[in-house]
Amino acid sequence: MSPQSPMPAPDARLQIRALSKSVPGGRVLFSGLTLDVAPGDLVAIMGESGSGKSTLLNLIAGLDHPDGGEVVIAGTRLGGLDERGLTDLRRRQIGFVFQAFHILPYLTLRRNVALPLAIGKTGTAEALARADAMLEQVGLGARGDDYARDLSGGEMQRVAIARALIHGPALILADEPTGNLDPETAALVLALFGKAARERGAAGVLVTHSAAAAAIADRTVWLTPSGLVAADG
Amino acid sequence: MADAALRWMIAGEWRQHPGRIAVAALAIAVGVALGFAVHLVNGSALASFGQAIRTVNGAADLQITATSALGMDEALYGRVALAAGVADASPVVMLKAKSPSGEAIPVLGLDVIRAANVTPTTIGVSASGPGTGATDPFASDALFLSRAALAAARVRVGDSLAITANGHTQTMVVRGTLPAVADGQRLGAIDIAASQSLFGRLGRIDRIDLKLADGAQPGAARLALARLLPPDAILSDGDDQTAQSDALSRAYRVNLDMLALVALLTGSFLVYATQSLSVARRLQAFALLRTLGMQKRALIALVATEGALAGLAGSVLGLLLGYGLAAGAMALLGGDLGGGYFGDAPPPLIFAPGAALAFFALGMAAAIGGSVLPALDGARAAPAVALKNAGDALDPRARPGLMVPLVLAGLGIGAALMPAAARLPLFGYLAIALLLAAGIAAMPGVARLLLAPLARRPSGAFAFDLAVQHLRGTPGAAASALSGIVASTALMIAMAIMVTSFRGAVDEWLGDILSGDLYLRSDPGSGGFDPAAQGALARVKGVERIMFSRTVPLVLAADQPPMQLIARPVMPAMEAMTLIGSAVRPPRGAIPVWLSEPAARILGRSAGQSVRLPLGHGEHFAVAGVWRDYARQQGAIAIESSDYERMSGDLARDAAMVVLAPGASADSVSRALIAASPPALQGQVQTAQPAVLRRFALTLFDRSFAITYLLEAVAIIVGLAGVAATTSAQALARTREFGMLRHIGVSRGQVLAMLGSEGALLGLVGSMAGVLLGIAISQVLIHVVNPQSFNWTMSTRFPLGLMASVIAALTVAASATAMLAGRRALSVDAVRAVRADW
Amino acid sequence: MKRAHAIMALALMAATSAAPPVVYPVVSPGRTFAFPADHGAHPEYRTEWWYVTGIVAGVDGKRLGFQVTFFRSRLPVDPNNASAFAAKQVLFAHVALSDPATGHILHDERAARAGFGLAGAKVGDADITIRDWRLVRLADGQFTTRIAAKGFTLDLAFTPSQPPLLEGQGGYSRKGPKPSEASYYYSLPQMRVSGTIMRGKAGGSVSGKAWLDREWSSSYLNPVAAGWDWTGLNFDDGSALMAFRIRRRDGSTLWAGGSFRRAGGAVVVLAPGDVSLVPMRRWTSPRTGATYPIAQTLTIRLPEGVRRFALTPFMADQELDARRSGLPIYWEGAVTTPGGSGYLELTGYAAPMKM
Repeated sequence: MSPQSPMPAPDARLQIRALSKSVPGGRVLFSGLTLDVAPGDLVAIMGESGSGKSTLLNLIAGLDHPDGGEVVIAGTRLGGLDERGLTDLRRRQIGFVFQAFHILPYLTLRRNVALPLAIGKTGTAEALARADAMLEQVGLGARGDDYARDLSGGEMQRVAIARALIHGPALILADEPTGNLDPETAALVLALFGKAARERGAAGVLVTHSAAAAAIADRTVWLTPSGLVAADG
Repeated sequence: MADAALRWMIAGEWRQHPGRIAVAALAIAVGVALGFAVHLVNGSALASFGQAIRTVNGAADLQITATSALGMDEALYGRVALAAGVADASPVVMLKAKSPSGEAIPVLGLDVIRAANVTPTTIGVSASGPGTGATDPFASDALFLSRAALAAARVRVGDSLAITANGHTQTMVVRGTLPAVADGQRLGAIDIAASQSLFGRLGRIDRIDLKLADGAQPGAARLALARLLPPDAILSDGDDQTAQSDALSRAYRVNLDMLALVALLTGSFLVYATQSLSVARRLQAFALLRTLGMQKRALIALVATEGALAGLAGSVLGLLLGYGLAAGAMALLGGDLGGGYFGDAPPPLIFAPGAALAFFALGMAAAIGGSVLPALDGARAAPAVALKNAGDALDPRARPGLMVPLVLAGLGIGAALMPAAARLPLFGYLAIALLLAAGIAAMPGVARLLLAPLARRPSGAFAFDLAVQHLRGTPGAAASALSGIVASTALMIAMAIMVTSFRGAVDEWLGDILSGDLYLRSDPGSGGFDPAAQGALARVKGVERIMFSRTVPLVLAADQPPMQLIARPVMPAMEAMTLIGSAVRPPRGAIPVWLSEPAARILGRSAGQSVRLPLGHGEHFAVAGVWRDYARQQGAIAIESSDYERMSGDLARDAAMVVLAPGASADSVSRALIAASPPALQGQVQTAQPAVLRRFALTLFDRSFAITYLLEAVAIIVGLAGVAATTSAQALARTREFGMLRHIGVSRGQVLAMLGSEGALLGLVGSMAGVLLGIAISQVLIHVVNPQSFNWTMSTRFPLGLMASVIAALTVAASATAMLAGRRALSVDAVRAVRADW
Repeated sequence: MKRAHAIMALALMAATSAAPPVVYPVVSPGRTFAFPADHGAHPEYRTEWWYVTGIVAGVDGKRLGFQVTFFRSRLPVDPNNASAFAAKQVLFAHVALSDPATGHILHDERAARAGFGLAGAKVGDADITIRDWRLVRLADGQFTTRIAAKGFTLDLAFTPSQPPLLEGQGGYSRKGPKPSEASYYYSLPQMRVSGTIMRGKAGGSVSGKAWLDREWSSSYLNPVAAGWDWTGLNFDDGSALMAFRIRRRDGSTLWAGGSFRRAGGAVVVLAPGDVSLVPMRRWTSPRTGATYPIAQTLTIRLPEGVRRFALTPFMADQELDARRSGLPIYWEGAVTTPGGSGYLELTGYAAPMKM
């Protein structure tokens, strides 16, 4: 593992304080929501359909603005950032894993994984070398030249995980990452996700309504209108 | 479920993307409109031209025509009238007469008794009515005019009118009308004896109209008559005359029709581009429908129906536009669209239902064809793959096949080597179509090739590199965007190179032939300068040298337009003539003639060969050289003045080239020459200086190519519309991709830069490929189409400035449209974009 | 006198202006006729004709009437016009066949300006041609004609059985109140006809009697005249009768004349008061609306007394509508009378004539 992906800074934690959000119609999704995720900590957020899980994820990623409260990532308050700052923060500090994978069909897997580095100032050769290393880590070491069309769903999500981690983000956000996978594959992908996130010391947030998925988290919280409620067991 | 589902899908698609469908329909409309307009204008002009010919000809069964304006010996009339199979014969003298105000009125000198039997439409009726005893067709001052001629000369029956023809002006009395002449056709009739004695045509007639005996075999009659004919007379019938007027503008007309078809073809590319993206965007929806049990056929029918509806709207709109365009063009440019083939009065527009139907069908075919191809692709995609992945249906690693484009290009080259078919460069056009198809089929591969260096050495600029990767990775989508640009650029560049080469060749040639200091010309039909007048002109002070020439139309074949016979001093200096190849000394006893390049090609003769000409009394002629001529498309034959005089007895000259004495002023010599012209020619002699002639010739050239410039502009607009349609459709299809990129930290600016780069690359690659293809096609135009339809050759000249600016304009325009399209795509919430699976 | 076709020729002259004046000789009494020279053309006169009418029968005994006419017209065009086409002399021909079985006449016509070997009237002896239509007098004195017309062909020879009959005063035939309104006029009645008349493939040899009228003049009809009735009759006994009357527009007689040559050869010249023609039966043409007195009673006063001849047409419809070639509408029909047969000509009934 010579070209190492950087580790997040020690204070790379996610802090959510008194966050509230209503839908345009006026219904309150949640209010006073508070959550703290330490580096290496993986939290699963569960909730009913329409409870606002995805909205919460968007607020964390700076893609949506809260009605009140604040989100702090690795010491940076999102509320204090403009659009440019938010984009920059996402590029440096956040890794995403989507339910629909979103692997670009026209790029090789290596380039897909290297995308977050390519957006920034990292040299192309280095970015590609690190992408190979990441693919190795997710068990697709020999597949760098393949395309999305050659992959199964599980493999695609492993590529997505590699892409989410390659730039050493402080925070990894996963939105229903196994929603499109069969249970066995889902289990393998989840295990990989948990292991990778923990190993890299990133704070992890996993939004899901699958109990099996939530099971790999260090803790699971339920999203309710009054905030997060720790799940029992 | 299929029918309802089809309706829902089409209605939904159109509600969602009305603009895109409208653009496709518009593209078809433009093609149909252009084609139909060109056809209508030409059809109307030709019909009117044909009617003019029929008017003057009076619809005889068969005609004997003099091969030149010198006419033929009148004694032939007596022999022909008694030939087997001939029921009656009507001798005719043809005068190109002018009214005092300069209005041209063809006047026939007729024997009214004969014409009454043979060509009744040319018979005059006295205003006081038949049978009242006032009719006097034999009076030498009696003139009968058609209604249009009365209007043109601004006279009424009973008025006097001085008419000028063949250098003679005579006052006639309008005794009546020619009621059987069609509306709008100018014609006058006088007694044949008057036409001979008053207008200097004693002993000569121009035509003998024949009525065949009932039951006489036209073939046998022709054979019998042919034996009676001297070399300066030729036999023709109505078909020949139609063919002749058709041949006059046929090549030009076919060229325009072909250009219109090209516009239609480009339109169908646009439909193809729109529809293939529409299909790509709906692949998942189609996959769902397929899994729900819809047949592949039904899917194809769906897309084809969409295309057909767009085609229907486009074709109907196109026919309406075309009619309007034709009316406008006819008013602005005349019946030949500026080509200079027909007279100057704009003919009435004649609606052509057959052509309308044909262009409607072509529009429908283009629209349906442009839709079915992508539909086949869409239906072929495996439902599972399509459901999972909205990407390009093509594997990015698949090497684009070179077999198809190579075979097409090979066939194209083969077609280019074929000779003309039916005197038209049909194989040349086939070659162009094949090369175009080859170029488009090669686009995925060519795009890869051109992008390879960029892909191998990334610039480090993220947006640009991703754009290169996207274009390389989605060859199908890129090709569909490129095909429109390539097709329109190629055709536009090909036309531009051809016109530039032609114009350059004409310009250079004008420089060569306009070697005199001053040119003198008498009006056609004025009779020209007789030897005394020639002597007077040569003695004008300031004239160092004067070279007189005589130009007479010479009919070599009844169904071909006449060539121009130019009698002038040729040897030894070959002044104002550029020989192609070398001169050849004619064999002893043969009279040397020099053929213009078109004449040489039409007659199939080259220097050194003998040639038969309808001149003299059985003399032998040999081609002493072939000279370059861009002025007379139907061919010209130069002959030494002395040979011409000996054979024709015609001593008059109608033009002269003057070399000025050193220090003489062109203006004052010009005035002196006009003053020295004989009184009979007063007002009918013009002088011109070479610069003016050159400017006039080039203006005429530009006028005749005005329509091609218009078509070029249309081609470029269609190409850009294609880029706009494709890139905006692609941008919308990629909203999820953009959403993901926004998630992982790509800024809006970077996405726009990526789209702008993609557009610029598409524009650059497409226009460069288009230019290359255009160069190839231009060679077919220059070396195959032009020689085969116009009978002249030229060397290639590149409009480098235009080529560079087309590439630059397309690159910028494509980039701008791509960014505009991206702006819309980016306005979609990035968050929703990643979630909305389909 | 005769004729309808001359009308066109004369009409053609009416309104000429620009050309130098053409001087036509005036017809006056006292001319000496000489033959065969006077059978030939007299081109200096304004108009002239060779007018053959006859009645023949085929082997089946059925009778046919025929008419072969050539006109010559001198137009008042510039005599100095050097063009070979100058219409100084124009020739017309008209041919008709009357067959009671057909019910109407068959006819054809031709016209041409003289020249180019296509048309001409020879001076010195009769030889008039328009293309292949020809009337010629042979050296033996026999006239022949061969006419291939639309629908029928005549190939006939006419042999004079009597010397020429000079009409009027020794060939000077007065037509109106003015002495200049006259023509030189002689006839060859009682010519023996032989030859063939074909209609398509039908027909065959015929024989019978014909009448040749020869007339030339420069001035013909008085302006108040509307037309004329004319008849020429060959009698079985060898005598011959020509009579005419020139009508005013109201139908009254402006002038009349004629001659009767007895079988023995003596000629009685008929003065205006010696001739009357009274209509007996009229027929209205369904085509032109003109009403013709197709059956008439001819009364002539001879020294021995008045004689009446009832003229009965072969058939009613013997009208010629020649307007297509600018000629007038007239009626020219074969008639019989007790003891003879001939032709009756009625002009100016559709519209007044101008000559």
